[in-house]
Amino acid sequence: MMLNINDLQARVEEKAILKGINLQINPGEVHAIMGPNGSGKSSLASVLAGRESYEVTGGSVTFDGKDLLDMSPEVRAREGLFLAFQYPVEIPGVSNMQFLKAAVTEHRAHKGLPPFTPKEFLAFVKEKQQLVQFDSQLMNRSLNEGFSGGEKKRNEILQLAMLEPKLSILDETDSGLDIDALRIVSEGVNKLRSKDNAFLIITHYQRLLDYIVPDFVHVLYNGRIVRSGTRELALELEEKGYDWLKEEMHLQEPVQ
Amino acid sequence: MATENEIIQQLADKAYEFGFETTIDMEVAPPGLDEDIIRFISAKKEEPEWLLEWRLKAYRAFTKMKMPDWQHFKMPEIDFQQLSYYAAPKNQAKYNSLDEVDPELLRTFEKLGIPLDEQKALSGVAVDAVFDSVSVATTFRKELAEKGVIFCSFGEAVKEHPELVKQYLGSVVPHSDNIFAALNAAVFSDGSFVYIPKGVRCPMELSTYFRINARNTGQFERTLIVADEGAYVSYLEGCTAPMRDENQLHAAVVEIVALENAEVKYSTVQNWYPGDKEGKGGIYNFVTKRGICKGAKAKISWTQVETGSAITWKYPSVILAGDNSVGEFYSVAVTSNLQQADTGTKMFHIGKNTRSHIISKGISAGRSQNVYRGLVTVGPKATHARNFTQCDSLLIGDRCGAHTFPYIESKNPTAMIEHEATTSKIGEDQVFYLNARGIDTEQAVALIVNGYAKEVLNQLPMEFAVEAQKLLSITLEGSVG
Amino acid sequence: MTNTLTSPIIAQLPGVFEQHLSDRKQAEPASLLTQRDEAFKTFMLKGFPAYRTEEWKYTNVAPFLQEAFSFDTTTTVANTTVEELLKAAIPAGLDAYTLVCVNGKFQKELSQVPAEADVQITTVSAAIEAGAYAPHFNTEYDYKHTFEDLNTALFEEGMMIVVKKGASVDKPMHIIHLYHHSSPLFAQTRQLWVVEEGAQAQIIETLVDPASNNAVLFNNNVTEIVTEATANLQHYQLQTALHHVRIVHQTRVHQHEDSVYSHFAFIMSSAAFTRNNIDIVHVGEHIETNLYGFYLASEQQLIDNHTAVHHAKPNCNSNELYKGVLLDKAVGVFNGKIFVHQDAQKTNAFQQNNNMILSEGAMVYTKPQLEIYADDVKCSHGTTIGQVSEEALFYLKSRGIGEAAARNMLVHAFAYDVTAQITVPAIRKYIEQIADEYLDTFANN
Repeated sequence: MMLNINDLQARVEEKAILKGINLQINPGEVHAIMGPNGSGKSSLASVLAGRESYEVTGGSVTFDGKDLLDMSPEVRAREGLFLAFQYPVEIPGVSNMQFLKAAVTEHRAHKGLPPFTPKEFLAFVKEKQQLVQFDSQLMNRSLNEGFSGGEKKRNEILQLAMLEPKLSILDETDSGLDIDALRIVSEGVNKLRSKDNAFLIITHYQRLLDYIVPDFVHVLYNGRIVRSGTRELALELEEKGYDWLKEEMHLQEPVQ
Repeated sequence: MATENEIIQQLADKAYEFGFETTIDMEVAPPGLDEDIIRFISAKKEEPEWLLEWRLKAYRAFTKMKMPDWQHFKMPEIDFQQLSYYAAPKNQAKYNSLDEVDPELLRTFEKLGIPLDEQKALSGVAVDAVFDSVSVATTFRKELAEKGVIFCSFGEAVKEHPELVKQYLGSVVPHSDNIFAALNAAVFSDGSFVYIPKGVRCPMELSTYFRINARNTGQFERTLIVADEGAYVSYLEGCTAPMRDENQLHAAVVEIVALENAEVKYSTVQNWYPGDKEGKGGIYNFVTKRGICKGAKAKISWTQVETGSAITWKYPSVILAGDNSVGEFYSVAVTSNLQQADTGTKMFHIGKNTRSHIISKGISAGRSQNVYRGLVTVGPKATHARNFTQCDSLLIGDRCGAHTFPYIESKNPTAMIEHEATTSKIGEDQVFYLNARGIDTEQAVALIVNGYAKEVLNQLPMEFAVEAQKLLSITLEGSVG
Repeated sequence: MTNTLTSPIIAQLPGVFEQHLSDRKQAEPASLLTQRDEAFKTFMLKGFPAYRTEEWKYTNVAPFLQEAFSFDTTTTVANTTVEELLKAAIPAGLDAYTLVCVNGKFQKELSQVPAEADVQITTVSAAIEAGAYAPHFNTEYDYKHTFEDLNTALFEEGMMIVVKKGASVDKPMHIIHLYHHSSPLFAQTRQLWVVEEGAQAQIIETLVDPASNNAVLFNNNVTEIVTEATANLQHYQLQTALHHVRIVHQTRVHQHEDSVYSHFAFIMSSAAFTRNNIDIVHVGEHIETNLYGFYLASEQQLIDNHTAVHHAKPNCNSNELYKGVLLDKAVGVFNGKIFVHQDAQKTNAFQQNNNMILSEGAMVYTKPQLEIYADDVKCSHGTTIGQVSEEALFYLKSRGIGEAAARNMLVHAFAYDVTAQITVPAIRKYIEQIADEYLDTFANN
């Protein structure tokens, strides 16, 4: 098992956000997490990536047998966990190239590999850039600064391609993308799928799942996974929306 | 369409609407400042010994102080010995009912749009009317008393709530804070006192209306507002004066204390006589206003619309002592003719997670000088303090000045401070666009200026906002081409 | 309240000055001697700038003036020693002329100078004697501080550089001010530069006061600059002095029509105290002024930058960007003034000061100020005090970049707007490298 989330609970400031998540992911699998706004989808991604504003209050997460929650964000990344941000951060003054070089060098060092020579690195960048159709002119610009929504998301996928993670979490990667950008991003992800890596796709809409077909779909509601199934579950949600779910859930537990 | 010069001329010629004089029998102390006059004032007001001592202490501090020299205008020569420090409508220091008030006085306030007859008064606003140095009437006292709210003249408060006055007087603006505050502490004759008890949300707006009438007097009122834990009050202040050739001094002090979870909103529309187009006459407005957020989560918000006075010198401030407390300052300052304004705010971040927000909009026209001067200081213990300041100046005509002097100090690695300032003139393209839609230049300017000041005007209570908007339009009537 | 600043120097000065003046009676033109005398009187009347006065509100110079300073700069230094010391001061790969001054005097034999047809180098006193440049010396100025008077009274020869009409100097000129002394030294550096009509030049300045001196240097520097019509001057100050150095640096520039002056101040020293004053006066139309600064301060350093731009004529632009990073218990002071006079319509003036406080105990005092007397202008200023963005830090860390490396990257990124303006690649590299070392030292402490 690659990722084992067991009864994970977390809060932000005083507010409980995750109330006992259980989820197992094996190599080669693609999982989708769906749910209405505010259900805790992005919070789960943030907790897994190690965002400091979230406090884990219970449960455990192992990643390839190691305690994930014990690692700093950078170690999680080097161990092979990748979060594609819903809102990639703009960092003026840090060039995209410089940033990628630093990240790739750290990953290689973690694996005991020497840094790429400048020539090797350029070749590596070029290969991945073509794979995800990333505009080479954006390489020397400041990281994400002034990028369009689509360019930012494509930059996330380029990083994914370059860092070759075991588990990639895509946090609402489809939000703010037009149909062409969505297709390009999805194609990039599909090219990167293999039997050794896994994906956790967080999305509000079923649309992305037309392009990246998941093996499993989970519905997150009020901090818990309330239903799991196959792709059909996503289609069912698409058809019925989330309201029926809310009603059903409220019947089962008192409204807070 | 009028030319720029014609319009500026019209503006200059525009009469000050509130410049009439009230003829009424007054008791006026002879000019001069010494310990005797202070004893006289204190005796007139039948004050306790401790208050007289406090006044004398302030006076002694005052005699050792120098006039400030850092302001951006030339400090006028003020001969404190030539002023009279006490003026009051004759025979009556206190009215038992409105029937006892000189009808001429009532008419004066009515003319100013401040009816003191509760039948005619704006519902939801209780008014304390101060004529020269003395509180004439306070409306809606019964309704307020039911909630435990104390709203009365300062003199009454000293008599009826001495423990509260003694506890808080000078606790925010000490008697020796600055030369004008010291003068005020020595000779203040009246003002308003507000106390909102624990957990009470004051059911109506409280308002003081200041009117300077007598010649050759200074006005030195003092306001003290205490909001106990969890209390809320919105307080309004308005002021006007007759047109006179000589300058008159107004040196007021406002102190606000907000305890835990309390909120005080203080709004001013300052429309003192600004002097004529040659700069003759007008009020010298040297005012010290300061509040302290003493308890956690307290909030003090200053909103000011400054259109009057020959000289304005005031910096309503907030001491953010309680953790998570909030200070706000919203200001529109308009100067025209030869007016000079040096105004802004000070935010002292002392407690943790304290926040302050400053929006200042200066508008200069004619040959006036308009200064924003501010201080934001974050102490070493004010972790995660936040400040945002936006400070804009609008110039109308090429003979005025707009100046910005922000002092920003941080001693904390977790504090975030942002200050932005811009200076611009009214866009010709904006005016043209409105012209092209059939709006004349005068109105276009009024529209643009009101839009420019909107963020601040929105902070004012409704009735006040309408008043302020009108005032802005009048003050700037057609001052651009 | 009295602000009188006491320093043992004051008592010593009349004797020092008398000797200084009598040494020069024969050699210097009377006009200069008179100016020295007047400046000295002014200084003795006013003393050193007093703490808490508006211009020195946050900067107390008194603690830096307590040594038993000598004013004697006649120490001779072996050329081999000088050459050794210079090596370390020259940025790797910098292809520039080198102008060497030892203890305030230009050393031609140690310098590589540009062609005489392009650049003329003499002493200030010689230039005043010749007359042509006299009006540019010791110009009147409203905000003149008394360090400048002291400099006028006591400087030795000074350095005069004239970039000749129409000349375009092919390489930057790197001026290295070397000080060599074995006891505490109070040294006046004086310069007068004129970039004549249409001329173009880049001047880089470095101060070298090696650790081997083992004694305090108080460097009181006054540089007056004139950019004539359509001239273009880039002026880089690389302040990298060691802990025992204290600096008061005055740069005043008179810009004529269509000229461009760009100032780059990089303060990445360990000098205990630095006060830089830059005053720009526009005397013609269509002028462009650029002021860029980056300061890194650590330990107990006090770094104070005061700038003023006087827009006196229409149609001029000024652009100012100062950024600072404060570590340990360091104090950063910034004061930027923009004056737009009544006739200076169509002025564009932009000013920005951003600070990062990275340690408990570090402080920033900033005061960007605008004084505007013309209406058809676009002026703005902004200032921020903050930290490294937590969001950006998390983003970098989530890509596997370690905490310290990520922080360094973000601090570099913060400086980027300033460093990106440098047009001499070797200098940019040099600055970035020093910043790296500086931040690494901090991270490892």
